[in-house]
Amino acid sequence: MKAEPKTILRFLVEHYDVIAELFETQKNDGIIAYEVLNSIIAKHEHDIKSQLIEYKILSPVNDNYEIRTVYYNLIEFILSEFKPMLPETIEKYHTSVAELFRKIRENINGDKVTLSQRLNDIAIEIRSFYEMVERNTQSLLTETRELKANVKKIDYREKIVRASRWIDEYIIPLNKILDINHSSSMANKLYEISEFSNKYRLNFDDEGARVQFEKLYFQLIQVNDNLLRQSKILTNELLPLIERIRTESIILTGWITFMKNPYKRKVPKLLKRKEVSVYSNDTFFNAAEIFEQFKNETDVYFEEEEHESEKWIFDKDHYTKKLKDNLPVENFFSWCNKTLKEDYKKVEIEKFFALTTLAFDEDIEREYGAKPQFDKIRINDLTLTVPKVTINQHTLIDPKDGIS
Amino acid sequence: MEFPNHHRQIVEDLMAGKFVLPQERTYQVLRDNEQSYSYFFKASFNYELRLTQDYAYVVSEESAEMLSRDICIFIALLSYELDRDGKNFLERIQFSEFEMEEIENYFTNSSYIDLILSNKQLKDTDSRKNFINTLNRRNIIEKTGDNRFVFTSAHKFFMDFASDIVKYENAEKDE
Repeated sequence: MKAEPKTILRFLVEHYDVIAELFETQKNDGIIAYEVLNSIIAKHEHDIKSQLIEYKILSPVNDNYEIRTVYYNLIEFILSEFKPMLPETIEKYHTSVAELFRKIRENINGDKVTLSQRLNDIAIEIRSFYEMVERNTQSLLTETRELKANVKKIDYREKIVRASRWIDEYIIPLNKILDINHSSSMANKLYEISEFSNKYRLNFDDEGARVQFEKLYFQLIQVNDNLLRQSKILTNELLPLIERIRTESIILTGWITFMKNPYKRKVPKLLKRKEVSVYSNDTFFNAAEIFEQFKNETDVYFEEEEHESEKWIFDKDHYTKKLKDNLPVENFFSWCNKTLKEDYKKVEIEKFFALTTLAFDEDIEREYGAKPQFDKIRINDLTLTVPKVTINQHTLIDPKDGIS
Repeated sequence: MEFPNHHRQIVEDLMAGKFVLPQERTYQVLRDNEQSYSYFFKASFNYELRLTQDYAYVVSEESAEMLSRDICIFIALLSYELDRDGKNFLERIQFSEFEMEEIENYFTNSSYIDLILSNKQLKDTDSRKNFINTLNRRNIIEKTGDNRFVFTSAHKFFMDFASDIVKYENAEKDE
């Protein structure tokens, strides 16, 4: 490359907008089509196509272009826009690290230069592995949060598909890689290397190698801590979040499907409460039973009640006259009893009391004697104790006789 | 013959179509005597006792289908509107208190307004208020004030139904 490094970096800064747009195109389409490249360059009004190729930022693929990996990774890193990688891709580090470790262990007393190179390589592989895990976790988290907020307004069914795919294809396998308790996991292999480095950093005849072991050991302590943190993010945050998206989406999809035809779909059974109601299945028969009682009715006649005797009305005038005719009356209550007996065969108590009211007449003069005396009068089955009252005079003007 | 404690309460609640909830003392009795109560309800009324970790209830062949459908519509609409409003509807239904005013807002401004107006129990404010009382009687919600309520764990009965719709449809597609 003829260009100076500073020239290339300056070019990247000056034309960052074009390069970022090209990056976005490749990220989405996997490649930059010839026409797309031309239109992006034309849009930004800088004909930089030749420099892009000269500085080896773009490389041709048939008639199209793609950003070279080193630049692609740089921009990806700057933008923190990583696409989640399939765990298979990450798993390749397991093989390379395991292979390097096997060779280091088996040839620990072999050529020191080769050992040093292998220790260097294993450190690079471990760093790359960790960076990839971290990028993957972060990108999954970003994508999941976006899915949760549904920025792209995707359908609920699509949400279920995505959430399920991420769980099954990314998160669970990634978790297996990071599971220290799993004997064949990468985390377990790193732990094994860490133990080995710890031993040789303290006890090895070559000082350079000891330093390298020490460096590897502390790197591994750091990596193990970080991996544990990533594992926690996966199990404590990402997995529950994505599970919830899946559950929510399933339920909401169910409800939306239900509401498309809510009256035709079978619904869950709920107990029908037994209530006493006039409207029941038996109402007809109950009513029929009641009406059947009146089917063969016979004529019923009501006879008017005959009064045995006419109601007696007290004739005050008649008895006042009779009293006056009999004056003086020595014992008023005995007179009442005697008078009634003369008029009627049987003396009722009502008649007796009615007649005695004459004694309360204001026009009558009553004498009770110096000492109160009582008589007993028998009316039917009743014996009355009454005072002895004498009546000598009546002052009422008789309509027929004038003043008496 | 001896019956477990709170037997009468258990029978009365379940026969009234209520969901018995884990926080009620009767739930534990039911759990401890699940087998005998299953037999009791089957032999006495031909009812089936269903006990889950979230609720207990009985069902018979004769179902309150109309009520069940209206409850499904109510929860479906609420879930849909909460989600449309950017809320985590499952979390809200599970953990939050609702005010009638909020329910009214969602229902009156819903795009499912035709469905709402055609439903006797959900068509207007008064009907919805009565409906909330019905849900309360069945222990599907718990009223926390005149105009406030929370959903009980019995709401999961209906959420499971919604999940089953999708599972059933997916299974049909797979066949």
